Amino acid sequence: MSLDLTVARQMVGADLLRLRKKRGMVALALAVMLVPLVIMTGYDVVKHASDPAHWSPAGGLNNYGRLLDLLGVFMGPVAAILIGAEAGAGDLAAGVFRDNVLTGRSRTALFLSRIPAAVAVTLAVTGIAFVISLAVTFGFAGGLATPSLSVILQSVAWLALANSVVCVIALGLASLTGSRTGTITALIGWELVLSPLVVQASSLGSLRRGLLDAVMLFLKPGPLTGPPVIPMSVAVAVLVTIAWLLVLPALGAWRMRTRDA
Amino acid sequence: MCRAPTRLSLDGMPITHADQDHRAPALETRGLTKRFGERTAVDAVSLVVPRGVAYGFLGHNGAGKTTLIRMLLGLTRASAGSASVLGLPVPERRAQALARVGAIVEEPSFYPHLTGYDNLKIAAAVRGPQTRARIDGVLERVGLEKRARDRVGTYSLGMRQRLGVARCLLSDPELLILDEPMNGLDPGGMLDVRRMIRALVEDEGRTVFVSSHLLDEVEKTCDVAAIIDGGRVIAQGSIDELVADEAGEFVIECDDAERALAVLADDPAVRALRVEHGALRMNLLAREQAGEVNARLVNAGVVVTRLEPARRSLEDRFLEMTTRLEVAA
Repeated sequence: MSLDLTVARQMVGADLLRLRKKRGMVALALAVMLVPLVIMTGYDVVKHASDPAHWSPAGGLNNYGRLLDLLGVFMGPVAAILIGAEAGAGDLAAGVFRDNVLTGRSRTALFLSRIPAAVAVTLAVTGIAFVISLAVTFGFAGGLATPSLSVILQSVAWLALANSVVCVIALGLASLTGSRTGTITALIGWELVLSPLVVQASSLGSLRRGLLDAVMLFLKPGPLTGPPVIPMSVAVAVLVTIAWLLVLPALGAWRMRTRDA
Repeated sequence: MCRAPTRLSLDGMPITHADQDHRAPALETRGLTKRFGERTAVDAVSLVVPRGVAYGFLGHNGAGKTTLIRMLLGLTRASAGSASVLGLPVPERRAQALARVGAIVEEPSFYPHLTGYDNLKIAAAVRGPQTRARIDGVLERVGLEKRARDRVGTYSLGMRQRLGVARCLLSDPELLILDEPMNGLDPGGMLDVRRMIRALVEDEGRTVFVSSHLLDEVEKTCDVAAIIDGGRVIAQGSIDELVADEAGEFVIECDDAERALAVLADDPAVRALRVEHGALRMNLLAREQAGEVNARLVNAGVVVTRLEPARRSLEDRFLEMTTRLEVAA
């Protein structure tokens, strides 16, 4: 058992090494979150400076809510997709998959070791962006209310959940298709275009509860600032999240077991 | 190089004495066949690869070499027949067998954004806890210790081949399976790989199975070889056996080839006779008559400086065999 744990820890460490040393990808993931954050904040700062009576400061509770939307619903998931796709298909792209299989190690173990590594990188990138958004929230608050410690802690948990789930989905899809580019294109298209449209399509009614975006908006702490929240029970939210977490990774694991090396 | 005292399979089980049956051949196949639809890529191949040798697996591109290796390593299922690796049946006991095997199929692949050292760290993590301590040793073994901290993207093909061998050696394998290890290498790179293979066999007692279409390299590197053509093994044996001249041809070097030709022209022991590149080449009815022929030449006043069985290159033999098959087909 301890040998299994040692091997598992080493395999996760190895996947973490290959991901974090993919510096271009990590920088892009960070930029995807930070550039919009900086632009949004800069725009708000300029507006407030030019007409303080009409435009509120760039920080404070409400802007914190908008930054959470950015990090947990829009651009954070995009960063998670980049990382998950690399984790899921990076070894195939480099041609190393066959060499890993040649070791005789179980393919399921090879697949599972990717998940904690990809999630760790996603959380690190999200963490950096969240710290900066907190600095903006408090630094530019002026006289506005700021989030409480409780809201901040809930936000940390929510952001971790939202981006980790998307990362694992991207990893599963990339392992299933074997294509980083295809996975990134499909999931970013879904995350930034289709899913926000479907969430707002009231004609779909309760079907929208099956969308991950709908669940994450429902679970989001702090003020309501983004797209409309679709009412649902916590149990439904948990079940939908689990379903998303299981289906694509399971398909990815199955494909990895059956893929011709 | 130190050998690990206790071997563990990748599922964490100690490899038992029964598993380590050193009497079993390194590789053995019986009627191994692979079909892709109507096409038979490997046709009832039966091979025995003894331990402690460099074994050449020789064939044209597309002859079925890589397909056979993929079956041996459990990367693809055989359509018929059976195979064992180090005495363990595959694919049934693939994990235990592969724990003692290092293999490169086609060209070795690495993460180009990582250093050679980091790539080996990743490979060692998959192999198991005891392999990490061997990284420095195997890098030194393949002569890459000075470039280990450079990104693999900056390596030449020869360096990647050597890093591939280093990755194979991480698990201290008894058997290395190298698929076309000389492909794309310059003469210096080929020489490096050849020396490395010989050292792995002679100094470390490992078995190296080398597939190649480079006949000259197999002849220079390997002790034993099999020739595969159209998915079928058409010959196997030691290199000496493969290149031996069954027709009993001898080469004679002497001071006067024309005079020697005249002396032997009516000799009943001689079947055929010709002068080629200033030397006399003759075919005898029986190889044992070479001494008598030598005596006859000496008695006739011809100064014989060399008389030996003609040795053809493996390339000649390979072309002769594959051409014969083409004619038969």
